[in-house]
Amino acid sequence: MKVVTGVVGNDIHVVANRLIDISLEERGFEVFNLGVNTYLEEFMDAVIETDADVLLISSLNGEAEGWCRDLQILKSQYDFKNVTFMIGGNLGVGEMDPEQLVPKFQSYGFDLVFHQVDLNVGLDSLEAFLEAR
Amino acid sequence: MSKLYIDIGSTYFKVSQKGNIEQYFRNFDKNILDDLNSKCSTIVNQYSKEDIHICSSANGGLSTLIVGLTNSFSLKYAINIAFNSGINIIDTVLYSKLESEPVPLEVIDVVIVVGGIDSVEKVFDEKLLNYLEKVNYQNITYVGSAKNRDFLIQNLENIVVLENIISDKLQIQEEALKHYLTDLYQSDIVGKEDIKQLYEITSNQIYSTPYIVNRSLPKINERLDVANPFIVVDIGGATTDIHYSRDLVNDNILTENGYDRLVFKKLGVYKSRESLVHTAKNNEFVFELLEYLNVTENILEEESTKATKTLMQLAIFLVLYKVSKHHGQYVELNLDILNSIVLTGGITKVLTQEEVEDIVLFFYKKILQFHHAPTTLLDSNYEIWTYGI
Ligand code: B12
Repeated sequence: MKVVTGVVGNDIHVVANRLIDISLEERGFEVFNLGVNTYLEEFMDAVIETDADVLLISSLNGEAEGWCRDLQILKSQYDFKNVTFMIGGNLGVGEMDPEQLVPKFQSYGFDLVFHQVDLNVGLDSLEAFLEAR
Repeated sequence: MSKLYIDIGSTYFKVSQKGNIEQYFRNFDKNILDDLNSKCSTIVNQYSKEDIHICSSANGGLSTLIVGLTNSFSLKYAINIAFNSGINIIDTVLYSKLESEPVPLEVIDVVIVVGGIDSVEKVFDEKLLNYLEKVNYQNITYVGSAKNRDFLIQNLENIVVLENIISDKLQIQEEALKHYLTDLYQSDIVGKEDIKQLYEITSNQIYSTPYIVNRSLPKINERLDVANPFIVVDIGGATTDIHYSRDLVNDNILTENGYDRLVFKKLGVYKSRESLVHTAKNNEFVFELLEYLNVTENILEEESTKATKTLMQLAIFLVLYKVSKHHGQYVELNLDILNSIVLTGGITKVLTQEEVEDIVLFFYKKILQFHHAPTTLLDSNYEIWTYGI
C-alpha cells in the first residue's frame, strides 16, 4: 500500500512527520514523505503521480482548517475513488472540542480525522479502515 | 595549449582567449562565419579545431510542448530540466485538461510527455493520441512511468523513450532528459545553415549559451567577489534569464549542480520591448518607480539612450518582482536571504553600477520593506560564460 504524507500549510513542526514516516514503514507501507510546508495541491498531485492508496496529512500548528477547506474541490477534479483521506495532529487552535472538529474535517472530505489522538491509535484505525474497505 | 571560446549572441559575439575577452557587434548583412572571419580571422587561425569552443544563443533555441500529469511534479520537473538545458520556449498542458486546451498552432520542435512514478499503470490513453494527432511536432520523447512505455511505443512513431524524470521517491532525475535536449539543440543547430558553418572552425559540440551559463554557476563564487546565495540575471536583447541557487527555493526539487534557470520570454529590451512596456504599465509600483528615477511615463515610448536605460532598469525591477512572493511564477525565490545579484548580458554595457544599485535598493525598500539590499556585481567583461564552456 502506498501512502503520501507530510505536514500541511506553512507548518514547520517536523518531529511528528519523521515519526509518522518511520511508523508507516514499519507497518509495511510504501511511504512518500513530502515533509513540512506542503500545500494541499502538492499532496493531491503526489497521490496522482504515485497512484497512492492513502493520503495522511498532519497539522500541528492549528492552521489545518484554512489549508484543507478546498479538499472537496480538488477531489472533484480527478478520480480519487479508491483513496483514503486522513488527517491528524492538532487540528484546532488551543483546547477545541473534538466533537466539533471531527465532523468539520469530515465535511471537508476526510475519511478519518484524529484531533490530538496518539499516532499508533490513529494508524491502527487506518489499518482497520483499509481492511474493511 | 590554451583554448579559444566564442559566444554568438543575438547582437554581439564575444571571443575569449587567455582570460582576455573582446566583443564585436554582429553585422547582419553577413553570415556568422564570414562576420567572425572578417573581424578576427587572425585569432581564429591560431587555434586548431579541437581548441575552439563555441556557444550560441543566436538561433533562438528549441520550442517545447510538455504534456504532464500534475503541476507539482511532472510539469514542474520537466520545465525545470528544459530551462536548465537552455530551452526558452515552453508550453505546458495538464493531462487532465487536455481535451479543453487549445492545440498550439506553430510547429513544436519537441513534445515531452511525462507522468507517474515507474510502478504506476495506465496513466496515458487514447486521449493523448487524439490530442497529439492535432499537434504539429518534429520530435517526441517520453519520460514518464515505465509501465506506460509499451502503450506509447506502440502508438507513437519515432517516440524516444528515456528514463523517468520522476524517481520512485518522487524526486527529480534530470540527466537523461537533459542530455537528450542538449543533443537535440545541437542537431537543431545543424539544421540552421548559419551556425552549421561554424563547424568548419570547431570540432567540439556547439551548446546553447544559457546552458553554458547555467553550468558556470557553481564556479562563480570562486572567481568573482560574490557571496552565496546569489542570482545571475542575464538581461539581453531577446529574453531575460535568471539563474539562481537552489538555497533560495523552498520546494521538492533537488538538482545536481544546485542551480536552476528561469526565463522571461517577454521581458527582453529589444526583441520584446512592447511586452516589456506592457508588463511595466500594468505593474502597480511602476509609476512610483519612474518618479524615483526622475522620468515620466513618456520615456517608455521614446527611442533614446535614456529610454533604453530606463527599460533595463524596469526589466531588473520586474524580474525581481515576478520571482518574489506570490506572483504565480512556477518558482518563488526567497529574496530575503539573497546576498548578491550578478548582472550579465547586454545590460552591463548600458547601465552603470550605480544605476543598478539604485533600482535594486528601490525594490528591496518598496516591495520587501528592507533597509538594505544585496550587493550587486556587473559582469562587465562578460566573462561568466567562459567558466562553463
Ligand atoms: C517543538 C515545537 C515547536 C518548534 C518546532 C521545531 C520543528 N522544526 O519541529 C518551533 C519552536 C519552531 C515551533 C514553532 C511554532 N509553534 Co510550536 N510547538 C512545539 C512543541 C513544543 C513540540 C512539538 C513536537 O515536536 N512534539 C513532539 C511530536 C512527536 O509530537 P506532536 O507534534 O504532537 O505529534 C504527535 C501527535 O500530534 C500525533 N500526530 C501528529 N500528526 C498526526 C497525524 C495523524 C493522522 C495522527 C493519527 C496523529 C498525528 O502523533 C505525533 C506523535 O505522537 C509543541 C507543544 C507540545 N508540547 O506538543 C508546540 C506547538 C505545536 N506549537 C504551537 C505553535 C502555536 C507554534 C507557533 C505558531 C508559535 C508562534 N507563535 O510562532 C510556531 C509555528 C511555526 C510554524 N510555521 O509552523 C502550538 C500549536 C497550537 C495548536 N495547534 O493548538 C503548540 C501545541 C504549543 C501550544 N501548546 O501552544 N514549535
